[in-house]
Amino acid sequence: MQMRSLTLSAVFILLYTIPAFSADWPSWRGPLQNGTSSATGLISSWSPDGENLVWKSEFIGRSTPVVLDGRVYAIGRTGKGIEQRGVIACFDAGNGAKLWERDNLIFHTTIPFNRVGWASLAGDPETGYIYAHGVGGMLFCFDRDGDIVWSRSLTEEYGRISGYGGRVHTPVVDEDLVIVSYLNSSWGEQVPGRHRYYAFDKRSGEVIWTAVPGGRPLDTTYSVPVVAEINGQRLLIGGNADGSIYAMQVRTGKKVWGFKLSKRGINSSVVVAGDKVYAAHSEENFDTTSMGRVVCIDATGQGDVTQTHEVWRRDGLLAGYTSPTIHQNRLYVIDNSANVHCLDAATGAEHWHHNIGTVGKGSPVWADGRLYAPEVNGALAIVQPGPTAATTLDLDEIYTADGRLAEIFGSPAVAYGRLYLVTEAGLFCLGDPDAEFVVTAFTVANPKEQAAADATPAHLQVWPTEILAHPGAKTKFSARAFDAQGRLIGTVKAQWALDGLVGKVDNKGKVKLDKATGGQAGKVVATLGELQGSARVRAVPRLPWSEDFENVAVDKNPAFWVGAGSKFKVREINGDHVLVKPPAPFGLHRSNVYLGPSDLKDYTIQVDLLGSKKGRRRPDMGLIANRYTLDLQGNHQRLQIRTWAAELRMAKTIDFSWDPDVWYTMKMQVEVKGDKTLIRGKVWPRDQQEPEAWPLTAEDPLPNRSGSPGIYGYSPVEIHYDNLKIW
Amino acid sequence: MISRTKSPTSSTVQGKAITPPRRGGHSKLTQLILAFLLLSNSLAPAAETAMWAGSPSRNQVSAEKNLPTQWDPASGQNIKWTVPLGSQTYAGPLLMDDKIFVGTNNQSERNPKHKGDRGIVMAFNAADGHFLWQSSHTKLKAGRVNDWPQQGVCSTPFIQDDRLYYISNRCEVVCIDTEGFTDGENDGPATAEPDTTAIDADLIWKYDMIAELDVFPHNLATCSPVGVGNLLFVVTGNGVDEGHVHIPSPFAPSFIALNLQTGELVWESDLPGENILHGQWSNPAYGEIDGVGQVIFPGGDGWVYALDPQSGELIWKFDCNPKTSEWELGGRGSRNNIISTPVFYDNKVYIAVGQDPEHGEGAGHLWAIDASQKGDITATGAIWHFGDKDYNRTMSSVAIHDGLLYTSDLSGFVYCLDVATGTPHWKYDTFAAIWGSPFVADGKIYIGDEDGDVAVLKTGKKLELIHEVNMGSAVYTTPVARDGVLYIASRNTLFAIAEK
Repeated sequence: MQMRSLTLSAVFILLYTIPAFSADWPSWRGPLQNGTSSATGLISSWSPDGENLVWKSEFIGRSTPVVLDGRVYAIGRTGKGIEQRGVIACFDAGNGAKLWERDNLIFHTTIPFNRVGWASLAGDPETGYIYAHGVGGMLFCFDRDGDIVWSRSLTEEYGRISGYGGRVHTPVVDEDLVIVSYLNSSWGEQVPGRHRYYAFDKRSGEVIWTAVPGGRPLDTTYSVPVVAEINGQRLLIGGNADGSIYAMQVRTGKKVWGFKLSKRGINSSVVVAGDKVYAAHSEENFDTTSMGRVVCIDATGQGDVTQTHEVWRRDGLLAGYTSPTIHQNRLYVIDNSANVHCLDAATGAEHWHHNIGTVGKGSPVWADGRLYAPEVNGALAIVQPGPTAATTLDLDEIYTADGRLAEIFGSPAVAYGRLYLVTEAGLFCLGDPDAEFVVTAFTVANPKEQAAADATPAHLQVWPTEILAHPGAKTKFSARAFDAQGRLIGTVKAQWALDGLVGKVDNKGKVKLDKATGGQAGKVVATLGELQGSARVRAVPRLPWSEDFENVAVDKNPAFWVGAGSKFKVREINGDHVLVKPPAPFGLHRSNVYLGPSDLKDYTIQVDLLGSKKGRRRPDMGLIANRYTLDLQGNHQRLQIRTWAAELRMAKTIDFSWDPDVWYTMKMQVEVKGDKTLIRGKVWPRDQQEPEAWPLTAEDPLPNRSGSPGIYGYSPVEIHYDNLKIW
Repeated sequence: MISRTKSPTSSTVQGKAITPPRRGGHSKLTQLILAFLLLSNSLAPAAETAMWAGSPSRNQVSAEKNLPTQWDPASGQNIKWTVPLGSQTYAGPLLMDDKIFVGTNNQSERNPKHKGDRGIVMAFNAADGHFLWQSSHTKLKAGRVNDWPQQGVCSTPFIQDDRLYYISNRCEVVCIDTEGFTDGENDGPATAEPDTTAIDADLIWKYDMIAELDVFPHNLATCSPVGVGNLLFVVTGNGVDEGHVHIPSPFAPSFIALNLQTGELVWESDLPGENILHGQWSNPAYGEIDGVGQVIFPGGDGWVYALDPQSGELIWKFDCNPKTSEWELGGRGSRNNIISTPVFYDNKVYIAVGQDPEHGEGAGHLWAIDASQKGDITATGAIWHFGDKDYNRTMSSVAIHDGLLYTSDLSGFVYCLDVATGTPHWKYDTFAAIWGSPFVADGKIYIGDEDGDVAVLKTGKKLELIHEVNMGSAVYTTPVARDGVLYIASRNTLFAIAEK
């Protein structure tokens, strides 16, 4: 509104200057990663009915959009009933026209439909690629036209644990990497469930490094790390599921420092200004009896800096979900009850606080002298921060078509002089409709700074660092050295060895896995002087293969399986080896085990199963193929096919009575037929003839076209498996 | 609230002679309830009781007088004493004789031998806030799915004479001695407590609902039990599995009755079985019509059930959700479950629906139900309904006084309705989520919210704010009062407030 009152020459000057200051918004906290924008001419009021509403597009989401090269990208959900799915969509930033939309099918998760799309997208200004991490565990790299450049199935490949709450981490792009974190439990040293970071080559999807800076996870979380240059060292700084804040070298994943904060996982993302890191949480403080803290950390330390590098703390301020923004020595934090607090960044003293609603989930953005602050119950507040108090300039409520307040979990993206806001009731573009629309690129701060060739190596990285291969496969690994500051020195000649793998490795890092050994898992290790680096390798047999567990040692499970961990173990029963899934000691009885590559298709899987009974409880047990699950349900005496446990969109269920402590044989088949999949299942007592018919079939119009074979168990009571066959 | 009423009970407790009521001077209301209960039951010796909302009807109304209208924790104005609790407090405060009890977590580690996350019931001296002793429970190994971290004991106890009953974070019904070990005795049958110092609890008996009944408490068992006669009524907390996919233990009961003296199971009900939508964190209430009792159980399926207290047989049931409503896992769907506690008043039951606050705000429904009917009374039992657009999801119970009903919701509104018709008189916005319930006493309504504000409103058809003050931390509990002193538990501090 401000611009309309300006003189022509002023308009000219303003238009001339806007491009320089109101460029792309490539990631959820903006180009500066701190939730601020230097844009001017932004709105101070609007209305869902039309005031300063440039356009609105149909979309349902709960995160912050990316605005890149004249396009708006958003992740969300769509469809009803059998068509419920995640989507990634692209809109023209100028007029809101939808340019493309891609399905993100959801499988192997208990996250419900309404929490789909909580992790924001990340854009890469250099390549124009868009990265999406969905609740089904797919990590996609799209080009600007929506073609898939590469994808990873984090659940099937790395044992990602989804949890129920829907908290999924937003990817972060830096230099040549895209980094995403999640809780996982896979194989080998990654059996213990931890919050791990995976860095992929942003162009190819190869794993470059993995890091596990923290200890036992206390929650599923969604703190998005921030990249910052501290003392010449490029760091990735983020909140961890173990309740600490960690800084890692962004190019190596090596931990630089850790800071203990909470007795629960950290959801809020940090904000960095200079060499100070500001973090917040709303649960029990690790060292006092109170809840909630905003803290300022001096980021220049090393090791455990909890006691040594705290600059100030403000206890009792509960900001557990939102991330702070900082502008000119003032830190703005929205607490869980939607009060905006303005703190002095140097001391933590509170200048004022100001209420905008009842629940704080979305983070504020500072731009053009105002705060744009979402509240989860359909509100976008525009707040004028003052020296000692704040004023709400405008607060509009957005409703869904059925008259409910629309949920808003994301923040506005500020680009090209406009605000872009994703809500449960559409994607809104807010700005002065009369202002000229100019697309301006954000210049990437992408130093890719290298160390001198003669620098002293301090870290050895084996690349690629995690692969899946077949028995007999040949793979070339390289060793890259980095200096103490985490800068690349270059590829180096290292000593190579195999650890736990049967095969050969030459002195150039060429590995040939033994063919006769079949399925196996282990490490390829490179040594350079005192330094060691390694890559994790799984060899999965080609189909057909079978496993009767007779050659698997008692208390173990096949090494190349993902997710079997300590949950499944072989036991000798009456001279026969069977695989057992006992009740979980920590109450999480539900487990999927992934047995092969995620691009496998057109196979049949079969297993013998036995479920016990104890008290009033019985287990559920079954098989997985092509991202569908077939299970025999004990307490409910049913047989079910599904793909998404939380939303039984395509599920088919029949009554099926089966007895405890009796062996049954289960068989499952998935056929991809044109635009759909046909899923078939049958179960019969093991000592009887296999029936001809498939008593349970399901059809999926949103077909999962491939997927790892697997076994499933929910074991409040013990489950036994034997004679697994895949062909 | 007075937190003490009279109800009939058997004449002995574990072989001990019943101690006579230790405090005289019951208020007029207590005397009325006492008279009613005595009239409607055989003339058994009276026992002292205390419980959440003061009486089995769960109506949060007290006859206390001269309660404070002005106080300020920041300046200390009218603050008689304060005492630190754990970091999260959802149970109590509950007054009995010279003590005040609170359920909290173990962040304050009052027993140096009891480290880490635990569920705690603390006993304080009501006169000065002096800590007396505590009951302490380690967390279930299963973790968050059955015993959410740092939530402490969320069950406000039921007290009868010197026996205190509550549900631990471990899904056990626990009976302890209100005197702890300070009476110099280790009362049994349970006498093998590992800790028997003066700051530990004296366990009488314990009933483990997981081991005995295969209950799968979703996130936490939180029920504030109610005792009537010789029976203790409990919502077990059975619910969905960690993935919210289905009920992993559909054959475990949701509603049970135990023998107050022995802890033995008297009956179990298979309602609502597999239809539980999420968890079951509510509390039973009790009322009588023409001398015939009914226990009102709020179901995790959004229905409210009236069961025969002796047998557990169904008397009536009512679906508190509109038939067109839809359950949406973890979100804003129009079908809700019940977290608030039913209130039995004048042959009617008042109950509202809600959800886990994590699921967000949404449309709510408050019902006045004719409790004299039988069977499925969904179509016939509603006397009035308030809600949908006008009312939001709630965890609060109502308070009924002088023809008016006071209620509050998760969106932060307090309402005054006509109790006969449900017609609203006024609405007050606290601007923060309300988890506790309106407490009515001395012509005032006391209500706390998530921002830590306590509002004091005037009772009556006209909205009038008398006082509003911040307690420094969220107030998720409901205040109680006695002898001119108001007790408020914030998330981490217990306050005694009185005008000097």
